[in-house]
Amino acid sequence: MSEPRTIDDLLDSRLMAHLDRLDVVSKKIFAGKIRGERRSRRRGQSVEFADFRNYSHGDDLRFIDWNIYARLDRLFLKMFLEEEDMSLVIAVDASASMDFGTPNKMQYARRLAMALGYIGLVNNNRVSLFAFSDDRIERLTGLRGRRRTREMGQWLLDLDPKGTADFAAACRAIALGGQGRGVLLLISDFLFPESAERGLRSVAGRGFDVYALQVLAPDEVDPARHGVIGDLRLVDSETAAEVEVTASSAVVQQYRARLDAHVASLREYCVRRSIAHQVVETSLQIETLLVDYLRRRGLLA
Amino acid sequence: MMAAPPTVLGMDWIAPVAGAVIAASTIPPLLALYFLRLRRSRKVIAATMHWRRAAEDVRANAPFQRLRFSILLLLQLLALGLVALAIAQPQIDLGFGGASKVALLIDRSGSMGALDESDRSTRLAEAKRQAIARVRALHGGGLFAGPAPSIMVIAFASEASVLCPLTDSAGQAIAAIESIEGTDEVSAMSGAVELVRSFSANGGEGGTTSSSAPTVLELYSDGRISDLADLSLRDSERVIFHRLGGTDAPNIGVGAIAVTRMPESPGEVRVFARVVSWSKVPVTTDLELRVDGRLLAVTPSPIELAAATEEQPTGVLVPAQTQAVFPGVQVSPGAVLEVRVTASDLLPADNAARVVAPRLGGLKIALVGRGSFVLQSVIAGMSPASFEILAPEVWNKRVDADPLTPDAFDVVVLEQVAPRSMARGRYLMFGAAPSGTSIIPFGTKSEVVPRSVRSEHPLMQYVTLDDLFVASMTAVAPGSDSDVLVEASEGPMIMTLSRGPLTLVYVSFDPLESDWPFQRSFVNFTANALAWLAAGGLPAAEEPLSPGTVAAGRLPAGAQSPTVNASPGMNAPLSLLEGGRFALGPLRRAGTATIAWQGASPTAAPASLAYAVNMDCQREGRLDAADQLQLASKSVSAQPSRASLQSLSPWLLLAATAVLLFEWWVWLKRT
Repeated sequence: MSEPRTIDDLLDSRLMAHLDRLDVVSKKIFAGKIRGERRSRRRGQSVEFADFRNYSHGDDLRFIDWNIYARLDRLFLKMFLEEEDMSLVIAVDASASMDFGTPNKMQYARRLAMALGYIGLVNNNRVSLFAFSDDRIERLTGLRGRRRTREMGQWLLDLDPKGTADFAAACRAIALGGQGRGVLLLISDFLFPESAERGLRSVAGRGFDVYALQVLAPDEVDPARHGVIGDLRLVDSETAAEVEVTASSAVVQQYRARLDAHVASLREYCVRRSIAHQVVETSLQIETLLVDYLRRRGLLA
Repeated sequence: MMAAPPTVLGMDWIAPVAGAVIAASTIPPLLALYFLRLRRSRKVIAATMHWRRAAEDVRANAPFQRLRFSILLLLQLLALGLVALAIAQPQIDLGFGGASKVALLIDRSGSMGALDESDRSTRLAEAKRQAIARVRALHGGGLFAGPAPSIMVIAFASEASVLCPLTDSAGQAIAAIESIEGTDEVSAMSGAVELVRSFSANGGEGGTTSSSAPTVLELYSDGRISDLADLSLRDSERVIFHRLGGTDAPNIGVGAIAVTRMPESPGEVRVFARVVSWSKVPVTTDLELRVDGRLLAVTPSPIELAAATEEQPTGVLVPAQTQAVFPGVQVSPGAVLEVRVTASDLLPADNAARVVAPRLGGLKIALVGRGSFVLQSVIAGMSPASFEILAPEVWNKRVDADPLTPDAFDVVVLEQVAPRSMARGRYLMFGAAPSGTSIIPFGTKSEVVPRSVRSEHPLMQYVTLDDLFVASMTAVAPGSDSDVLVEASEGPMIMTLSRGPLTLVYVSFDPLESDWPFQRSFVNFTANALAWLAAGGLPAAEEPLSPGTVAAGRLPAGAQSPTVNASPGMNAPLSLLEGGRFALGPLRRAGTATIAWQGASPTAAPASLAYAVNMDCQREGRLDAADQLQLASKSVSAQPSRASLQSLSPWLLLAATAVLLFEWWVWLKRT
């Protein structure tokens, strides 16, 4: 996978054709600021009838069904499904650790964010993008409609992965950012020196359907098969800390056990917080991820 | 001479110092190089946290850390170690154990004459061949060889003799080995070990060998050695047992022979023989009787012998035995009777046993003293050729007139009398202490019982003194030329004295002052003493001798120019001693040796004396070679009989090369 230089590199026409048929699904009922195209379980003022209920004092007289009153001499209020708009928030980890692996995790994250954002834009959702890196949070908010696709793509292309990520601060900023309610996609490798629980805790329960997409390179999942073997001085891409390792089979086995435990721990926490967690290897095709994996998880429909 | 190299892992190391130097000078630098060479390649990864913890986990559980997984280092260390070992020149199998002294003990007993080697040569010949090869191997040297050990050659049978003291000369040792001649003696190793210890303590040539240096005893034998159970080794001694002979070696022989004159026909004898079989299956054989080499009789039917059996629970092999009798054989006195088995086996030496026909007449005996009924009866019952009873004063007068008077009698019995002159003659003396000898009387003792008896002495054969009680005894102090046979708490009771032409058996009590005359042992003792004295202080000539003994006797007065005629292969050196005594031997081989003389007085018949020497088939007839030596302190297993020094260096170098090739292949694969 070559490094994307143009928006077409991020999202080609063939994939766009597939994505046009998809929509982001929210499992919750949300009240939008404007009436949108999205149906909500909240009764509202759309044209689609939902139910009747008894009139109570103070109700809007415009929704009284006068025909029933004429027949039954009782006041009933007509209820309509309210249409709300949905906020799709995509947070991309742009720390240095993401600029690693073959295929590169950052490039994969760009493409994934572009595809999901495109789906949101096409379905007229309010799309917001966040990137957190080097103790900075970059954001692009308030995107709606297909015409904002290029702007979104350019923003993703301009991301420069570097430094360490403050995941907790990024999540707190998203939670307090007033993006409305909707779906929050966290795209990261979750290889933070500190636990990701604090950050996840701040976004869980804020009205988001949270999806944690843990992007890992094949080099990280199975290092022995990708040349990480022998006497090595491993350098941490974020902290520049060095570790001298003789990557024998025992050490690699121990590393994989550690990584598995880390992923399992994150998944367990996500389950407890009703957060969907999905490990994504960068060797997986974006289309396969979207059409198979994320549809199965209920993110897309 | 440098200190001997040590023995490690059961191998001998010719040049351990060289190997150690090589190892010490190459292995540490290799390790150092490895530490330096461990230049790790730098690799940037997303996050190191899992790697750090994984490495810590593995390191915490690993006894060796950095070098643990370096297969290349391990292979290189292995190759270097192999090279160092090769330079140290380990040798297996026949290593001399790092000892600076090697004693080659070569068994030349009768069983070593068995013809069960591949070329029908004797075991002794094979032992000599192996020992010579061993000497050449020990002095063979090598590229890194250290000093060769000093070698000592000892041949042993019933006695051991040093053929070559500790020497650094291989030629001298080989010459000594080649000079070894076989015997038909029984095998005893204690003397050989004592000789080794004695010579080792005194050092080798020039005294350059340390007495504390370990000694290796390399034994070439079939392992059938009589005194192994009494032999214990010191810490500094190690035995290497080179076994000769096979494990399946049946043997049949004549275990014993005896001859007695028939009372009713003094010209005839009856010959008894005991046939012994060590075969583990039943065997049959005929027996021949030869007189002076002429075949006289054959058993009418073959003699059947059962299989030898193992005694439980000891596992000792007990040979099958049977008796045979040749009655009514007409022989002349002094003739040699030989009983021979006709079955052929691996050991010819024990297939025949010989005995000398007893003389027709008895001894010429004089009884000086009171002439008690007891002694008269006993002596007369032995059918002496002449028997005179003389009063003490008569005896003294005759001796005064002719000092050679005692020589006219085979034995003079003195009963409670001490003659004035006892310069020469053979006396059996009871009671009164002899005069003019080293035996000093100092009173009398009463109520005496014997405390110790030397039952192995020929005089004490078939003599049991357990019930002897002596009411009164002359207390005497024995001299340095005395040999006490029976002793009580109060002093010697029976002793012998030999000084020049005088031979004396002295009983320090009067038999009538004891209950001895009522016991059978008194008769046996008197008969033994008379025969022993008549033979000049040695067993009677008619008794067969064991190989290795020296036949000694007394030539008759006037005998001149004695000559010896011995069986083929039998060496019988004759030594003439004062007083007409002679020594013949040692007679190491079975056979007959006849000494003949001329010019003896007419009374001194016969003009020749024959000695028969028989191999002890009972003790030396077992031919199956032992797998191991059961010493008192430990067991020693047999080495392979064809063992030779085997250097491991070429194999180690080959292995080192293979390891280096493998290491190279691994390196190529990893790079």
